[in-house]
Amino acid sequence: MAKIERTQKLFLQALKEKFQGQDVQSETAEYYKFNGYHQSPRKEEFVKASRAVEMDRGISMYNPVRCHLGGIPLGQRQLMTYEVSGTGVFVEGDDLHFVNNSAMQQMWDDIRRTVIVNMDLAHQTLQKRLGKEVTPETINEYLHVLNHAMPGAAVVQEHMVETHPGLVDDCYVKVFTGDQELADDLEPQFVLDVEKLFPAKQAEALSAAVGKSLWQAIHIPTTVSRTCDGGTTSRWSAMQIGMSFIAAYRMCAGEAAVADLSYAAKHAGVIQMASHLPARRARGPNEPGGIMFGVFSDIIQANRKYPNDPAKASLEVVGAGTMLFDQIWLGSYMSGGVGFTQYATAAYTDNILDEFTYYGMDYAKDKYKVDWKNPSPGDKVKPTQEIVNDLATEVTLNAMEQYEQYPTMMEDHFGGSQRAGVIAAASGLTTSITTGNSNAGLNAWYLSMLLHKDGWSRLGFFGYDLQDQCGSANSLSMVSDRGLMGELRGPNYPNYAMNVGHQGEYAAIVGSSHYGRGDAFCYSPLVKVCFADPSLKFDFAEPRREFAKGAIREFMPAGERSLIIPAR
Amino acid sequence: MAYKPQYGPGTSKVAENRRKQMNPSQKLEKMRDVTDEDIVLILGHRAPGAAYPTAHPPLAEQQEPDCPIRKIVTPTDGAKAGDRVRYIQFADSMFFAPCHPYQRTYTECYRFRGIDPGTLSGRQIVECRERDLEKYSKELVETELLDAARTGIRGATVHGHSLRLAENGMMFDMLQRSVLGEDGIVRYVKNQIGEPLDRAVAIGKPLDEKWLKAHTTIFHSLGGTPYRDDAEYIEYVQRIHSLRTKYGFMPKE
Repeated sequence: MAKIERTQKLFLQALKEKFQGQDVQSETAEYYKFNGYHQSPRKEEFVKASRAVEMDRGISMYNPVRCHLGGIPLGQRQLMTYEVSGTGVFVEGDDLHFVNNSAMQQMWDDIRRTVIVNMDLAHQTLQKRLGKEVTPETINEYLHVLNHAMPGAAVVQEHMVETHPGLVDDCYVKVFTGDQELADDLEPQFVLDVEKLFPAKQAEALSAAVGKSLWQAIHIPTTVSRTCDGGTTSRWSAMQIGMSFIAAYRMCAGEAAVADLSYAAKHAGVIQMASHLPARRARGPNEPGGIMFGVFSDIIQANRKYPNDPAKASLEVVGAGTMLFDQIWLGSYMSGGVGFTQYATAAYTDNILDEFTYYGMDYAKDKYKVDWKNPSPGDKVKPTQEIVNDLATEVTLNAMEQYEQYPTMMEDHFGGSQRAGVIAAASGLTTSITTGNSNAGLNAWYLSMLLHKDGWSRLGFFGYDLQDQCGSANSLSMVSDRGLMGELRGPNYPNYAMNVGHQGEYAAIVGSSHYGRGDAFCYSPLVKVCFADPSLKFDFAEPRREFAKGAIREFMPAGERSLIIPAR
Repeated sequence: MAYKPQYGPGTSKVAENRRKQMNPSQKLEKMRDVTDEDIVLILGHRAPGAAYPTAHPPLAEQQEPDCPIRKIVTPTDGAKAGDRVRYIQFADSMFFAPCHPYQRTYTECYRFRGIDPGTLSGRQIVECRERDLEKYSKELVETELLDAARTGIRGATVHGHSLRLAENGMMFDMLQRSVLGEDGIVRYVKNQIGEPLDRAVAIGKPLDEKWLKAHTTIFHSLGGTPYRDDAEYIEYVQRIHSLRTKYGFMPKE
């Protein structure tokens, strides 16, 4: 390891904006003079809103003066705004809690309400068992019927209740295939065209991987998956698929062949976004704890839009991943409250992780001649322990020195968990992109944690003692019960369900090993194509930008209810 | 061969300071006098002079099972008396405070008996029987492990360890449990969980910057000892990591 010069300091603009009129390298500051929560327009808004709620319902609510520490409200120090990294947009911290951010809610809604269902099995049943003809024309007709039925409309029976289209406008089905000839014969409105959506090299790899199979990318209504759960998605979709086949191909509604179609739609041909969890966590499929990191890195699409910047692609996964896994999964499904948000946002605000990661890119280029801006498997470095140690050590030391030299940045990431996650993430991303090996990246993460702990004699929350100190031993072995490929790990991997500030970064470390190689996908070509859909409410190529839009209240989500409630 | 503790690696001053704090054969330098009563006030667990509340009868008065471990381990005074378990918790400024969370835990483990430390980034707690706690707390507060300005005794709302120092040199504390007087003396006006005290407790003057930088146990590249400069320390951590990684493969040798 040897420090290299890098003068850009991507975090400087954010620090100067946050600490206006102050020397961002000063070691002292003024405190206790900021008038508490009154310095935050958003918290003032909360107080006003709460008074209105209290008048309406007659029960007390938000009262930071009376209820915070017996009369000492938040805001004895400067309450800071945050720049959502890579966007230039400054937001209130409160607006990055998912309750206050409709884009964050929609990102998770869009994943939870998605399943991918194979059509080949159904087509074989129709052709071989029932003697029906399946052509591009019949497929088009079926898709018209399905897009009528999937949101909740009747296609076979008389006198049925149906859902209001204005409430389920986010529900639809498209198809995709690696058979470009077939794709060209289908109505464009229904097709996810791999050649048009992806850069040429990625499109070629994806088409080859998908092959001649035809797949349905299904998004059931947000309202349905919210009212029920992720396990509903495949059931809702399978019911509507079965009814649509019956209607489109004029089948008998009760004949035994329908069972084949149902079985294909419910089980044999279904790709869930997440596997179900064991009883102690008690969640069905398509809930956050079951999303493999390889799948999550395919859901996020930044490497499609920015194929020559694997660092940015990875940082988008960090942002999306910490939001989903820390704020929603650990922070609410598993725990509750608001604390997790404060930790998670550190990884996608103020360009701090971005700076540390690009330092790693410069170091890899300088020392190992890795041309990271032209991702390819050709120049990846063999992930020996020595090289992993070198990359992780240098990135970690640089990051610690930046915190030391910019005390306002240390103040920005005021918790050790925040700093630990960010420093280890930069180490892991650098190593993954440099070596093209996700487990090497995870191994770098754990060395970073150990270095950090010894350098500052502190790390993160209690749990870091376990997760990050036993991690070295489980990061490279593939023996059952001792380790696993990063791509196949997930939030429920042993010891991963403990700490905020880890899972989103792990997902990105996995993804970055592929982005650094220029791979078209990390784990599933089907998932990659499915989420390239421009019709989705949430743009998975720009999760951080979407979160910023949500924070400044410019994001329009699904899940409309104003049609069925009294006008305000 | 008897185990001989090494108290950690490193060739730097920081590493040396760490070893000194940990090594129980090295006497910690006494920096201030704080009375037993004042310690009790800061802790806030019982009123000065009040009897120690108990969790169980004194060991001598209860039937002890026939246990070989109990024969080997001599109970502490607090355990003997059946005291309840209470705590002291510290926040240490990253701007060259003398002690830091893991360092505190290691030091306490080497120097004290019957303790249960917990280590986080912004705070470090140690729990033990109440009369033992008061004895240990006195040592933790009176010696070089504490600086009046950059070490906080904080049971809750510990926020401050990573923040810039206030302009008077004090570490930020939302509850302002301790204040720097015009006479240069720091006084606790609230106990560790922020309840106002009937009288202020003086814990002396802040240590000067030069002393702190010479005695701190944190690496810091801005005016202190850069971590990068202690090659032995870095190599040690890398070695631990590499061996742990290798152990993941369950090597036979």
